[in-house]
Amino acid sequence: MSFKEALNSGKFTVTAEAGPPKGTDIKKIVHECELLKGKVDAVNVTDNQSAVMRISSTSFCKIILDMGLEPILQMTCRDRNRIGLQSDLLGASILGIKNVLCMTGDHPNAGDHKEAKTVYDIESAQLLRVVDGLNNGKDMMGNDLQGATDFFQGAVVTPEANPIEPQLMKFEKKIDAGANFFQTQAIYDIDKFKEFMSHARKFPVKVLAGLVLLKSAGMANFMNKFVPGINVPAELIGELKEAGKEKALDAGIDIMARHIKQLKDENICDGVHIMAIGAEDKVPEIMERAGLL
Amino acid sequence: MIITEKKDRKHLLEKIKEYNSFFLLGCSECASLCGTGGEPELVEMKELLESEGKKVTGTFVAKTGCQVLGTKVEIKKNFKSEADEAECILVMSCGAGTQSAVDIYKDKPVYPTNDSLFLGNMTRMQIFDERCSLCGECILEQTGGICPVTACPKGILNGPCGGTNEGKCEVSPDVDCAWTRIYNRLKAINRLDDMKEISKPKNWSAHKKPMTLNVREKKEEGKK
Repeated sequence: MSFKEALNSGKFTVTAEAGPPKGTDIKKIVHECELLKGKVDAVNVTDNQSAVMRISSTSFCKIILDMGLEPILQMTCRDRNRIGLQSDLLGASILGIKNVLCMTGDHPNAGDHKEAKTVYDIESAQLLRVVDGLNNGKDMMGNDLQGATDFFQGAVVTPEANPIEPQLMKFEKKIDAGANFFQTQAIYDIDKFKEFMSHARKFPVKVLAGLVLLKSAGMANFMNKFVPGINVPAELIGELKEAGKEKALDAGIDIMARHIKQLKDENICDGVHIMAIGAEDKVPEIMERAGLL
Repeated sequence: MIITEKKDRKHLLEKIKEYNSFFLLGCSECASLCGTGGEPELVEMKELLESEGKKVTGTFVAKTGCQVLGTKVEIKKNFKSEADEAECILVMSCGAGTQSAVDIYKDKPVYPTNDSLFLGNMTRMQIFDERCSLCGECILEQTGGICPVTACPKGILNGPCGGTNEGKCEVSPDVDCAWTRIYNRLKAINRLDDMKEISKPKNWSAHKKPMTLNVREKKEEGKK
C-alpha cells in the first residue's frame, strides 16, 4: 500500500525522516533506512536541512526508492528559483518519486553557507500551487507539459506557533493551494495538539503529528529556547532528568511511544511523523513500544 | 535615501596606495545625513590622506551627487583645476555618486570611500532602516502598507514561515517577524481578509537590471 493509499484508507500512518549526509559516503544512512523497511509507510528525505549543504534530497529519494522504501521528497524554496523548482519536480517525477512536501525552507543564516544568496522566488503555498499545476499538465506560466506529474503533495504546519492566528491562515491557504497532507512541527503537549486538531478536522486533509525524539533534558531545554513553535512541557523534562544521563534516551523513547499510542488510540490525528534526529536506528523500537509493530 | 557606511580606512588606503594626489567629492544629500560624505567627513579624509603623505588638491560637497549633469557643471565651474590636477577622484557618497564621477572623469581613476547599503527611512537622526527594496512592482496595498519583500528576510508573500517565534524572526531575535507585523496591522485596520487570498508569485521581471526610465520620452508619447 502506498503512502497515499495508507492515509486515504484510514490506517494510522507512520513516516520517518532521513537526512542525507554531507559527502558521498552513504553507508550509515542506507543502513538506517534498511531498518525502516516494512515498518514505516514512507520516509521523508530532507532538503539541505537547516540550510546545511548535503546530498540532494532527490538523489537520496531515488536511492531509498530502489531499496523498496517510499520516499517523501522535501522541497524547499530557499535554493532554487521557479525554473529550478519545476525542473527538479519533473526530474523527481520521472525517477518515480510520488510524494512531495512543500516548504519555504530555513534561512541560510541558520546553516553552514551563510554568505549564500537567498532565493525564495516563491514560497510554500505558491509551491503547492505549482505542484498542483504540474499534476494538471501545466507549468507556472500555463504552458502545456508533455506529460503531467502525479504527485501527492503535502505541507508543514506549526500547531503551537505563537501567535497562532497567522499560522492557521497560512494552514488554510496551503489547503486551498492543494495540500493533501500535513506533517507538523514537533508537538509534546497532546491536549494542546487536540485543540489544533479540532480546527484541522474541519478541512479535508490528513494530519501526521510531528514527533522529535527527546534524547536528554538538555536537548529539550535547547529546543524550548531556540526552536520556534516547540514547547516541551516541564513534566517531560522532569522525566528525562529523573531517568539520568544513561537512561535519558530510553525515557525519550518511552515518551514518544506513549504519545504515539495516545494519538492512535484516541484517533486524534491520521498518523505520526517520527523525527529521531541522529537516532534513526531507534525508530523500530519506538514503534514496537507504541504497539505499532 | 541611500544609506552608506564608511569603508574600512586601512583597506581603502591599501587600494589607493599607488596614487599621490586626490580630489575629494562628497554629497550634500544622503551621504551628508549618513555622516559619510558631508563637509566634516571630507575634512577628516583630507587630514587622513595628508598624514599618509598624500596631496589633496581640493574638496567639494556636490549638491546632489547622483545628478550627473548638475555635478559636472558644479565641478567644472568651481573646481576644474583642482579636480584636473588630482591623479584620482575619491567619491564620498553612494555607488550612484561614484558612477556620476566616472561619467565626468572618463580618463581618471575614481574610487568609492563608502559602501552603499540600502534605501532607508531615517527614523531618528542617523538611525536608518530598510523598508523598500525598489522591487519594481509595489504590493503595499495588499499587505497593510508593510513590505514583506523587504521586512521579511525571505521576502515571502503568503504569511509567516515556520521560523516565526513570538513576533520575532528565525534569522535574529532582533528582527521583528514581518508577517506578524502585517497580521497585526491588517487586524487593526479591519482588513484581515487581504491576507486570506493566496498571493501570486511575484513578477521579478518588473525589476530587470539595469533599470532605466525616460520620463520625458513618456510624456512625449502621452502627447501623441
